[in-house]
Amino acid sequence: MSADPNAATQSWPSPEPHHGRPHPARCLVPVLVAAAVAVGLGVYGRLHQPTGTAFDLAGFSSTRAVKSWLASTAFFFALVQLVSALMVYGRLPGPRWAPALHRWSGRIAFLVAVPVAVHCLYALGYQTYETRVLWHSILGCFFFGAFSAKMLLLRSERLPGWLLPLVGGLVFAVLTLVWLTSAFWFFRTFGVTT
Amino acid sequence: MKRPGPLLTLLAGLLLGLFMLTLNVTTGTRTASSSYQERSPSPSAPSRTAATATATASPSSPSPSLSLPPSPAPSKISDASYAGRTDDDSSSVAVSVRDGRAIAYFCDGHSKESWLKGRVNPDGSMRLTGGHGAVLNGTVEDDRRVRGAVDLDGGHYSFTARRAVKGTGLYRATATVRGAKVDGGWIVLADGRQVGIVDRDGTPSAAPRIDPETGAVTVDGQQLTASPVVP
Repeated sequence: MSADPNAATQSWPSPEPHHGRPHPARCLVPVLVAAAVAVGLGVYGRLHQPTGTAFDLAGFSSTRAVKSWLASTAFFFALVQLVSALMVYGRLPGPRWAPALHRWSGRIAFLVAVPVAVHCLYALGYQTYETRVLWHSILGCFFFGAFSAKMLLLRSERLPGWLLPLVGGLVFAVLTLVWLTSAFWFFRTFGVTT
Repeated sequence: MKRPGPLLTLLAGLLLGLFMLTLNVTTGTRTASSSYQERSPSPSAPSRTAATATATASPSSPSPSLSLPPSPAPSKISDASYAGRTDDDSSSVAVSVRDGRAIAYFCDGHSKESWLKGRVNPDGSMRLTGGHGAVLNGTVEDDRRVRGAVDLDGGHYSFTARRAVKGTGLYRATATVRGAKVDGGWIVLADGRQVGIVDRDGTPSAAPRIDPETGAVTVDGQQLTASPVVP
């Protein structure tokens, strides 16, 4: 899992992975923030009375389609994330701007996912009435926590080399599951519609 | 040593989320909906969304359940639809509440069905009655779900029905197709599952699927439109 030492040491956030053991407290703040974000979203979704029809004018079904497309866009950029990360770590041949590609595709994926999450939490809430919905609720909250942790870890120096790929891979895996339990399900159930 | 980029990313997401939440809370549906479309990444998505919106707005405009404000009705139970399954997973139950009255539909998707009607008490409890001695005893809990039981044909079916959002809930279509009186009832669950029975001159059979967006359904070659049911 450790980074290729020849790869992108100039521009990548964990350039010096093996300079002694990092203090555990270095990871404490990201972990705490991640937990607070995930739990906070879940509690809000549970306590807030779901409005059901936040976007009544556009018709709820088409709003679900809009959400599915937004989520699919986020998932597409998440795939770009995976490929560009492999480039950054030298596992795939990539251009010099692979780090910039990684940063900006991640930003776009995140910002596209935010409106979807707002609608989910505001209009639908944290629900448990069915396995798919339960997992989607849990993982949706977890995703934003994990993403916050990833962002904060990027600011830490002297992390173990395997940590960022691990957290990044976790974020990617969770987003994939969130997408599978929502947009993919929607397209399978109702067809690929707008 | 510190990179501001990741923090700015998080901050931008936070601000965007708060912005959209504020739109939701303060300005209601129209602005929030259009802001969604602005954020649509693909250039063709907004126009297609708008087209779908106008297409679906007309048939489904008399939204039966959730969009109504809590009007100063005598009952404190808010108007809503609820849909769910029986505990034994054999049948579906949907309840539509408006102005202190309720209509419910029990359906196993094959042969067993019942329409039940009655009043909803201010505490949320209800006793609805249907043909052939069918009885539904239930309670609206926290405006989120209806729990209760249906007694029908000697069977006792406990159920939990959750608050339905648009495109789900209780639908009915009645028509005369080639001289036969057709009465169809459908329960559309939140996961997209449908249970329905079409009655032709009193003979029940499994119903074809309806389009939950428009209520369109074809029965015996005849195009019908199922409407959301209100008491």
